[in-house]
Amino acid sequence: MKELLFEYDMNLVFSPPVEEHRFTLKCIPRTDERQFIKQLDVEVYPKEFLSTDEDSFGNYSIYGYTKGKHDRFFARVRGQARTGLAPCLTARAEHQVGLFRYQTDCTRPGPNILSFADTFADAATEYHDLSAAVIHSADTNPIPGYDPTLSFVLTMMRGLYREFSYVQGVTNVQTTAEEAMALGRGVCQDYSHILLSLCRLHKIPCRYVVGMLIGEGLSHAWVEIYSRGHWYALDPTNNLIVDDAHIKISSGRDYHDCIVSQGVFVGCTTQTQTVAVRVREIDICCPAAPKHVSHV
Amino acid sequence: MQGTDMDLYRHTDTVNELLARYGVKFGIYKNNEFKEQLFPFDAIPRVIEKDEFAYLEKGLKQRVMALNLFIRDIYSEKKIIRDKIVPEEFIYASSGYLAQCEGVTPPKGVYAHIAGIDLVQGRDREWYILEDNLRVPSGASYPMIARELCRRSSPLAFRQTHIEDNRNYADLLRKTMDYVNTGGLTVILTPGRYNSACFEHSYLAEKTGAHLVTGSELLVEDDHLYFIDYSGRKEPVGAVYRRISDEYLDPMNFYEGSLIGIPHLYDIFRKGNVALLNAPGNGVADDKGIYYFVPKMITYYLGEEPILHNAPTYLPLYKEDMDYVLEHFDDLVLKDVAEAGGYGVVFGNKMTRQQKEAFIALLKKEPRRFIAQEVIDFLDIDIMDRPQSGEDGTQVSNRVPRKADLRAFVLMGEEPMVWKSGLTRFSRNPDSFIVNSSQGGGFKDTWVLSQ
Repeated sequence: MKELLFEYDMNLVFSPPVEEHRFTLKCIPRTDERQFIKQLDVEVYPKEFLSTDEDSFGNYSIYGYTKGKHDRFFARVRGQARTGLAPCLTARAEHQVGLFRYQTDCTRPGPNILSFADTFADAATEYHDLSAAVIHSADTNPIPGYDPTLSFVLTMMRGLYREFSYVQGVTNVQTTAEEAMALGRGVCQDYSHILLSLCRLHKIPCRYVVGMLIGEGLSHAWVEIYSRGHWYALDPTNNLIVDDAHIKISSGRDYHDCIVSQGVFVGCTTQTQTVAVRVREIDICCPAAPKHVSHV
Repeated sequence: MQGTDMDLYRHTDTVNELLARYGVKFGIYKNNEFKEQLFPFDAIPRVIEKDEFAYLEKGLKQRVMALNLFIRDIYSEKKIIRDKIVPEEFIYASSGYLAQCEGVTPPKGVYAHIAGIDLVQGRDREWYILEDNLRVPSGASYPMIARELCRRSSPLAFRQTHIEDNRNYADLLRKTMDYVNTGGLTVILTPGRYNSACFEHSYLAEKTGAHLVTGSELLVEDDHLYFIDYSGRKEPVGAVYRRISDEYLDPMNFYEGSLIGIPHLYDIFRKGNVALLNAPGNGVADDKGIYYFVPKMITYYLGEEPILHNAPTYLPLYKEDMDYVLEHFDDLVLKDVAEAGGYGVVFGNKMTRQQKEAFIALLKKEPRRFIAQEVIDFLDIDIMDRPQSGEDGTQVSNRVPRKADLRAFVLMGEEPMVWKSGLTRFSRNPDSFIVNSSQGGGFKDTWVLSQ
């Protein structure tokens, strides 16, 4: 369990200015079984109208518009979260999570992913045998504490971590899992899409997650896989099971369901977007945020 | 009777000229070029007996009720998947399934407000359902205006024959739109004149008294939809009969590049602040692959035996069906489930050996993509061919049999309502089974006898 202070800043600069700007933001973490959002402060500028909603994946979204001319737009989220409250999330019934079992345009495998998937052929056979055994033994697990799905996905995640290199700037948000696999390099989005593609080859329901990780940098992405009524969070970029260093913002079938900031506007412009995320741990014994900041 | 029939037929050219003047045209894209062509009207009506139509009406209501329940189930509890009636891959692999619609209930729980159900009559006089159209089915305006014009040119024919008046379609549509209206204007949203059904959009707007609008005249503000008129005045909108497809409806929720959509329209629909007719996401139920399961849905949701039957259909995805398809390839028609408007339809016996081999290879590779159906021996109906000169030199009209289908319209208000008419489309080519207007066919009025 950790007590985390988080800051999320998204800045857009337009040159020349734009008008009639309509936007949707999905950058706000919400309380679930694993994390408790104790404090939240959201600021959006400029805005003339703002509304909130929950999308079909249960993500919190803010949408609105600004009519007048403006050359910048920002969203600032500040808050405090208690994380690591549970090892997994309770899922809907299995027949209701089926949509996460199917490839999307950006996870659909090609020759590179298929040949990489072949390197896990033995683990796959074992997984399919064991999960068949689990089904036949109804709800009692033949090997207590052992989850064949989780174990198999961890094997693939380790393999991916070995094979794939973390390099920024070689891929972009439109890069598909197959394209990234061909390159052998990429960022958290690519690691996640490839792992989703591998899981879906074996009809394991899995979803893409956007969130924040302790430290400073950009937003982060990882995956959740479904097994026996629960969603387990795995971070393929760091080759670990998500514990209490991550704050989840949203989830969906792939990147496109979790776009943090989306908009349409009138204007012929060049836009520059910057995102800054800062997450730091505070002492759990004295959880109140420091009231006085000493100016040196 | 014969005499009045002749009167009706004699005016065919006049009616067609008037239709052309009113702009009853069909626009098609071919080789990236937009062309408008006339939709030829044939004056010989399709006549359906009172009892026969009563049977169709019962069956159509039943089918559309079940389809509505199916769409609602798919986007909420998914019981039909749990109970293994429809395999989930048919849902999620369908291009008509939209994940954005998960958990969204439209006003009054109605999804398919306007359904266009395509039927054919076999030589055995049995009716078969060919296709369900639950997205933006078009075509009701053509028999409406044709009836109007024929009544004007041949009033006698209508005085002597007792037929159901089909000019009430606008009333049925208005009732359907008003039933789900959340408070405000009712508008018909058209993509504009480059749409193949633009005439229909303006005609229905005129007849129902709804405003005909394009996306740029609608605006989402304060979680509600507004119509902005020419003077800049804003009026709230409660129901949108949208004639643009799901993908283009809202760039913030569907296809990002859509310029004809209204940003955030789907967000306020999700909140129940506007009705969209038909509801987005309906494509999951009119997919050609899902069609196979409709009779099963009727039994599952309504606990009733299906009244109307599907054309015998095979799903190559199932091994025994694949075996049957390969064995009887020449007797079957194969349809690509992702295509519409008569595209992607091939007949086994019309292929060369090479085409057949290539097709079978594709079929084995992507079995989910195709369905196969028995070729139904259609009951032909007569159309008037070019007049020929008789022996004495006078012009004699020449009747020839052609393939035709019937698009019936079912509107879902508080109760399902079946329009007592329909669009009868025929193929002008004597060898063709494909009657779609986008493939150059013509249309007829459909008379339902009232006695």
